[in-house]
Amino acid sequence: MKWRNSVLRIAYCVVTSFYAIRNTQYATGFRLLLIVLVISLMQPAPLLITYGPQQTVQTNHPIVGVHTRLTDEVEEWKIQRTLQMVREMGASWVVELFPWAYYHAADGGIAWEHPDMVVNHAAAQGLQVVARIGLTPDWARPPDTPLTYLDETAYDDFAEFAARFAARYRGKVTHIIIGNEPNLSYEWGYRPATAEDYVELLKVVYPAVKEANPDVVVLAGALAPTLEPAGSPWGLNDLEYLAQMYEAGAADYFDGLAVHSYGLTFPAEAEPAPDVLNFRRIELVREVMVAYGDAETNIFVTEFGWNDHPRWTMAVRPGQRIQNTLDAYRYAEENWPYVEMMALWAFRFPAPTRSFMDYYTLVTPEFVTKPIYDEIKEFTGN
Amino acid sequence: MNKLALLTLLLLFTAACRPADDSWERVQAAGVLKVGLDPTYPPFEVADAAGVSGLDVDLARALAADLGVAAEFVYFGFDGLYDALATEQVDVLLSALVIAPERGKDFAFTEPYFNAGQVLIVPAGDTAIGEMADLDGRTLAVELGALGHVEATTWAKRIPDLTVRPYTTGDEALTAVLTGEADAALIDAISGRLYLKEQPQLQIVQEVTVEPFAIIVRIEDEQLLARLNTSLEDLRQSGELDDIIGKWLGD
Repeated sequence: MKWRNSVLRIAYCVVTSFYAIRNTQYATGFRLLLIVLVISLMQPAPLLITYGPQQTVQTNHPIVGVHTRLTDEVEEWKIQRTLQMVREMGASWVVELFPWAYYHAADGGIAWEHPDMVVNHAAAQGLQVVARIGLTPDWARPPDTPLTYLDETAYDDFAEFAARFAARYRGKVTHIIIGNEPNLSYEWGYRPATAEDYVELLKVVYPAVKEANPDVVVLAGALAPTLEPAGSPWGLNDLEYLAQMYEAGAADYFDGLAVHSYGLTFPAEAEPAPDVLNFRRIELVREVMVAYGDAETNIFVTEFGWNDHPRWTMAVRPGQRIQNTLDAYRYAEENWPYVEMMALWAFRFPAPTRSFMDYYTLVTPEFVTKPIYDEIKEFTGN
Repeated sequence: MNKLALLTLLLLFTAACRPADDSWERVQAAGVLKVGLDPTYPPFEVADAAGVSGLDVDLARALAADLGVAAEFVYFGFDGLYDALATEQVDVLLSALVIAPERGKDFAFTEPYFNAGQVLIVPAGDTAIGEMADLDGRTLAVELGALGHVEATTWAKRIPDLTVRPYTTGDEALTAVLTGEADAALIDAISGRLYLKEQPQLQIVQEVTVEPFAIIVRIEDEQLLARLNTSLEDLRQSGELDDIIGKWLGD
């Protein structure tokens, strides 16, 4: 009713103004102004987008997942199209970032519209959602600190958001990752990345989330593969960091471990070694878990893949990228019973980055599929 | 009339409030154009014990000479180039960088000096194929998974009897044209031209997509941008730009 009254009021003003000046020297100009005003008010009706019938993922390889980047995707039809294409490719899992900083206001209010849209469309496509939660709102961190800065004074606030998130999306978001690559100082607010600090965070967030939604699987990590030695300003070797996490008592505060593993210029089956970063570094991560008596806990590879940028020194040719990716899935299925899923970085970006990042994707911003998409689709039996 | 005068005055005042652009005077006073590049991308820029060389290096030197200053090269990693320019460590970036409209808020781009997009390559002297639309009933070789493959797949939806045949590498796709296994190849301009440099039995007949390389300055450096565009046009008119491109990528 308010909407109708406003329209009537505007129409009344327009008509009375028109009659008031109809015989003045400004009549022509004013008429033009009115026409422009009326045209500017005439907006096309918004697209009607429905979730459609419930879909299920058809796949011969349930391990296949992708990391989507819908955080900055504004248009709902693009969110829906992305998730449809993920399902059509035969991927059962999506990993997606849900930034705390984007949603949670200082007064406690949470803007759920965008995450609702993403989660509900993913659920309609039959996809299992792994939600990565992180990035601190400015009200929860000191001035002039970056989004990745989260210290103990804000752990309770973060836990509250994570718990509300877990409760709201019960049954739709099955896994939650606490933070991202905490072993890198960049991801830890440009502070020394210490496992002890991260474990303290887990100790606050884990019980809150499980109380809100006992079904959700809480993932720690995801650790970034790096060889940085102790004392480096950039971060800490992921294997050392993981050992320090266990030493700090992390084992009781996560249900699964999220891991990132990039193949760089190595083939998928290249032998792992402590001083080498390649895809099978996951086996070394696993060794640490077993050494600390945590063999029952599974690994979730929430980012992996190869890049085929023509000039990046860490890239391979596009054909190698396809081969390595399929080999990686096959190798993991045959050899790693403890790996539940592997999400390729990254499905699609909302806009081109004009850098090597564009050459990780499976689909262009315009939804044109790359051959790697078609190969994975064939691999999953679609 | 008074209102118009007032408005003009206001506009002039607003324009006067903008910070002065002394970018060209700064370069001129230094006598040096600081050029940022990532020297790991032959044949555009590569650094070794002998120094830095490549198409972009020659172009930077030619531009600097036209501007009456010397070119000084500063190396950065590919990901650090824009940050280096933003933090005023260099005056320009000249490093095989594609025009990125998304960065238009902070940076300005000169006119393009090279199109690195996909090109259609056929046997030299073949007059039957002049563009993609002529490929009905033909076989098109591409590098598996590359952007040429993506583009060819899109064309295959429009041309009913076009066969797209992927090869493991770009060179293999071009060799397929050479041996008659394929009628044409769709490949990026750099790989294509480098191959043609050694194999003149093939020719480029169409630039199918556009991936324009340009020189980049900070958005406020309008004077420097204008000078660079003028110099670039000078080099284009004199044929020097073509000579530089021909030297590194073939004619």
